[in-house]
Amino acid sequence: MLPKGGEVAMKTAQETNRVLTTRSTSPAALPDMEGWVRFARCAEESGIESVLLSFSRYEPDTILIACAVGRATTRLKFIVAYRMGLMQPTTFVQQINTLSALIGGRVALNIVAGSSTEEQHGYGDFLDHDERYARADEFLHICHSLWREDAGVDFAGRYCRVEQAKLHTRFTAPDRDSPEIYVSGHSEQARWLALNRGSSWLRLIDTPEKLAPMVGGFREKGIEVSLRLAIICRSTHEEAVEAAVSMLPDEGVRAEERSILAGSDSQTLKSALAAADNVGWLNQNLWAGLVSSYGSSAITLLGSPAELAQRFLEYKRIGVTQFIISGWPKLDEMLIFGREVLPLIRKAESSAQSTAVRTARF
Amino acid sequence: MNLKFHWMLPKSGEVASGVPQTPQQAARYRIESTRSDSRAAQPEMEGWLYFARRAEEAGIESVLVALNRYEPDPLIISCALGRATKSLKFIAAYRSGLMQPTTFVQQVNTLSGLIQGRIDLNIVAGSSTQEQHGYGDFLAHDERYARAEEFLAICNGFWRANGEVNFAGRHYQVEHGKLNTPFLAPDRNVPEIYVSGHSEPSERLAYSQGTCLLRVVDTTEKLRAAVARATTRGVRVCLRLALICRPTREEALQVALSLLPEDRRESTTAQKDDSQMYREGAAMAMNDHWLNPSLWAGLVPHYGPVWTTLLGSPDEVAAAFLSYREIGVSEFIISGWPEVDEVEIFGREVLPLIREAEAVARN
Repeated sequence: MLPKGGEVAMKTAQETNRVLTTRSTSPAALPDMEGWVRFARCAEESGIESVLLSFSRYEPDTILIACAVGRATTRLKFIVAYRMGLMQPTTFVQQINTLSALIGGRVALNIVAGSSTEEQHGYGDFLDHDERYARADEFLHICHSLWREDAGVDFAGRYCRVEQAKLHTRFTAPDRDSPEIYVSGHSEQARWLALNRGSSWLRLIDTPEKLAPMVGGFREKGIEVSLRLAIICRSTHEEAVEAAVSMLPDEGVRAEERSILAGSDSQTLKSALAAADNVGWLNQNLWAGLVSSYGSSAITLLGSPAELAQRFLEYKRIGVTQFIISGWPKLDEMLIFGREVLPLIRKAESSAQSTAVRTARF
Repeated sequence: MNLKFHWMLPKSGEVASGVPQTPQQAARYRIESTRSDSRAAQPEMEGWLYFARRAEEAGIESVLVALNRYEPDPLIISCALGRATKSLKFIAAYRSGLMQPTTFVQQVNTLSGLIQGRIDLNIVAGSSTQEQHGYGDFLAHDERYARAEEFLAICNGFWRANGEVNFAGRHYQVEHGKLNTPFLAPDRNVPEIYVSGHSEPSERLAYSQGTCLLRVVDTTEKLRAAVARATTRGVRVCLRLALICRPTREEALQVALSLLPEDRRESTTAQKDDSQMYREGAAMAMNDHWLNPSLWAGLVPHYGPVWTTLLGSPDEVAAAFLSYREIGVSEFIISGWPEVDEVEIFGREVLPLIREAEAVARN
């Protein structure tokens, strides 16, 4: 996960809490090229394949950030989160294709339907949850047609319509002619969209036992599964637990984050909150205790390097191929991962002679 | 106030060819840039950067980056070029109807923060119905302006108001619109908004939501009234033109004539069926190709109104620019063939004469 503006310089987890970063005075609102480029280069050195850029009204636009940081890096890819309903599909494809040509094709998409109706209203989008997915389906259908076809694209749906749509600027990458598409969301509609229009389903981490049947279903149909998680890696399990507990912010912030989660119409956010409330520990290494403070993506895999490597490999065995990770502080945790955990995973993979897990993505 | 001079960003690939081009070859490249096999479709940074640096050296303030389905996206190009330049500004052309105004403002604000505020906007309504349909826009000409009015009202709401934006119009609805990323520039907190077009709705839009009216060059006599209307409303006027400056008028004229197509029936403007500007351009050229001894519309019937050409020696061209200053015009967006050669000639031969005359006028 690409840190928000200002976060690379922040030293404690508490500073990066969402409640603080959504305030209009937060540095998260401002582009932070110095911090981002520093983080991006460390990510490249740590063996990270891509960074995910989150989309919200509290932060700068993801496509433009990917352009600026992409021009300053050479290997790192950018998974750009965008919501449907903000742009015409033809315009979206024109921007993505332009971007691809400027940064050597290092762009992928994370399609999200939007998790807050209030925020969507501010963007001029008044559809409800299910309709947003129906529109996303039409939107991505047009995008795929533009990426595939040379002739003009015609489409007349309920939400999107184009006649003889044609763009001369192509998606440009060494190995693809359209971007990889991660569809995130836990709802039935999100899964359907991932199966039909995506290249990977992106969801929050859960225990391997819970995930195994779902992952199998996707893999059978040729769709990858990617997990979103946080990690806390320390020399021993005990130290990791200690570090995790020390990241809990004060009570006021927790109450505010709770109300954001509870007020959402996203099934992902609701299920994350339920996990936090009901269980806390999903297994010995998987803790939902930070969700009510840091949001749904803060379900945390924690432990020693050996424990974490083993856990990642368990997910690999059930068919998961990619991980999008965050940690606190953002940069330090990534460096620990690259130094301590990833070599263990790569070693196990090469001795198992199996294909590598697509490098963990931060 | 000194006159401001902007330049059209060359089509991608024009500068990069590496081969010295004749004006005729350069003009041909532009004309053929809409073909699907044109190199103009793919962004090409090296040539653009070479041009951008020559433009900065020549005293050019901004480059206009066009939007159409044949070329890369202007906001993304402005980002990449802006990150690699220091002082040049970017006037990105965009149309309403392509994205939600909130999203547009978020992109423009992000861009401003990445390139020290060197971003301005040229809002156009779109000149081809066929092209608009490909973008998912099925409104007619006048309705497109009504929508652009709402679009810019919301944008200006974000830029000028502090707090939430609420708007309920015919084309757009926004409730509690709020963006944390501000427009960031050293000297202002909103971008300049150039509104182009010759129709009555476009002029109204420039007055209500714009900061500058952008229109094709004409004689000072013809422009005087329109310029006065705009400036009395506090809206500046910018003229779009092509320039051919050579040591003598005769040499400039030779270059101009060499740009005429071999097949005189050639036209790239047939598709622009829905633009007042294109209808007027065609009529103007039919009557008389010479609007005055320095202003030639001979290319307009073939390639469109923005090919209206100011030509002559450095003295003549400088005098012509100053005559527009007299009637209240404050800015120009220029093209030339090839772009690099003409911008260098302009910076070396013409601009010093203008700056000198402006300094004299001030004293």
